[in-house]
Amino acid sequence: MSHFAIQTSRLRKVYKGELGQKDYTGLEGLDLDIPAGEVFAFLGPNGAGKTTTIKLLTRLLKPSSGSVTINGVSNTSHHSMERVGYLSEQPNIYGYLTAREFLDFIGKLFGLDPGVRKKRIDGLIELVGLKDRDRTLIRGFSRGMTQRLGMAQALMNEPDILILDEPLSNLDPVGRKDMRDIILGLKAEKKTLFFSSHILHDAEIVADRVGILDHGRLVQTGTLQELTGSGLKTIEIVCSIPQAGESVLGLNRDRIVRQGDRTLTWTDDMESAQVILEKILRSGGKVFSVTPQRKSLEDLFISRIRG
Amino acid sequence: MKWPAIASLTYKETIRNRILINILLFAVALIGLSLVIGEWSLGEQAKVIKDFGLSAMSLFGLLIAIFIGIRLMVQELEQKTLYLVASKPVRRWEILFGKFAGLSMTLLLNVILMLLALWAVDWVIEKRIDFQLAAAVVLIYVEILLIVAFALFFSSLMSPTLAAVATLAVFIAGHLSPILRDYVQLRPGTGLKGLYMAIYYVIPNLENLNLKMAVVEHLERPPHAVEMGILYGVLYLSFVLIATCMIFEKKDLK
Repeated sequence: MSHFAIQTSRLRKVYKGELGQKDYTGLEGLDLDIPAGEVFAFLGPNGAGKTTTIKLLTRLLKPSSGSVTINGVSNTSHHSMERVGYLSEQPNIYGYLTAREFLDFIGKLFGLDPGVRKKRIDGLIELVGLKDRDRTLIRGFSRGMTQRLGMAQALMNEPDILILDEPLSNLDPVGRKDMRDIILGLKAEKKTLFFSSHILHDAEIVADRVGILDHGRLVQTGTLQELTGSGLKTIEIVCSIPQAGESVLGLNRDRIVRQGDRTLTWTDDMESAQVILEKILRSGGKVFSVTPQRKSLEDLFISRIRG
Repeated sequence: MKWPAIASLTYKETIRNRILINILLFAVALIGLSLVIGEWSLGEQAKVIKDFGLSAMSLFGLLIAIFIGIRLMVQELEQKTLYLVASKPVRRWEILFGKFAGLSMTLLLNVILMLLALWAVDWVIEKRIDFQLAAAVVLIYVEILLIVAFALFFSSLMSPTLAAVATLAVFIAGHLSPILRDYVQLRPGTGLKGLYMAIYYVIPNLENLNLKMAVVEHLERPPHAVEMGILYGVLYLSFVLIATCMIFEKKDLK
């Protein structure tokens, strides 16, 4: 069996244009290898092809060319979905069912026995915090509650692989934290997670590796360290300079901010920071903090997307 | 096999559908109204009631088949509720067949309720139950299932409105198709004979499923009319369902 949980090879999707409209390429030649146990965040602006990719992985769309394998099995077979949990973006769930009825139905689709279904439903209802609403009709649920129930159904088969489309959107701050905790719990259980997000902060917290997609093409992949750890953006120094003033630093005035008796300055590299620190100390000043500002995922994302 | 779970869900969905309940109540009320209409006929009260009742069943069955049949898939696709089902280890045909089977169960319940209403009305007039009505109702049920299959077929290809029009057209053409056959038999020298007969064989002959007149008028029925009707209807709807499954199998759930 392949040690890759998810693999795509030259995956391509072209949407046929409606009458009089041109065909549209949603995804172009995607090659991905996601090892088992990895948390992979798929980032990109709206229309980049994130949801197209996820729908191709989960058999909702048929590829124009290329292939997808899940745990080494081609996803042309419905069996490939047996160990997969999927949460769609803004899930819509049958409003005429209760949360329990819906989870029971999903359990049946995985061929689970009634006893197992009951036990898992109890646990999942508790996990996603729907205990008080588990017997009311879903049509009365808020977006956040529906999202939680969507997460519960994705976990019904105790999957090895979770494919989540924008799992943290549409949630209030508490709901987002709860959902993030669930995802971190799954990460701790060594589940493979493939999730799309436009909230880069979430990706930074959760993901081991990141892929950036733009106009249907994968423009960069790598670990967070590889992508952001190489470059320092700036080094911030907070100090006080009692007598000679900021001129001793020999810096551009644009790089000096004063607040009370404290001065904030910044420089681009460690060597010049060293020189500034020496000047401050020689002039009888004090250094309160030296903070390296690393390049964030957001900086990287924006620089890649804007070219 | 996952389709029974989908069938059970569909049954639950349709049985909780207000449109369906309203159509059913209206149909039962109309069958009850046949008592009044029967009053206007001279000495033919029972016949009029049975004729009216069976026609009402056929018409309301058709309405339910078109409205619920088309909504069934279109709603799932538009509201994207199908995503969480189609991404599970389930074959596409099982989803479609499960939907069909679930709606068939609901329609069976409806037809039984309408038949009970008709028998109750008949009891008021004749003080007996005409079990022959059941033979006509069985074929009405098969006809409704065939219409549901067409509704699913068309809704997998076109917009809901067009699908409703196309399904209704099949119903009307299906009842008129024997005219084509009779025309060709009466005028064997006609130039378009091949075309007429091709249309006749492609369009289902729904008159094969129509025993209303024979039952109401107590006419002699062709031998094994019910059995042959069931066989014809089931074979035909199987072809339509297989074609729909093939389309659905390749469909992108955007």
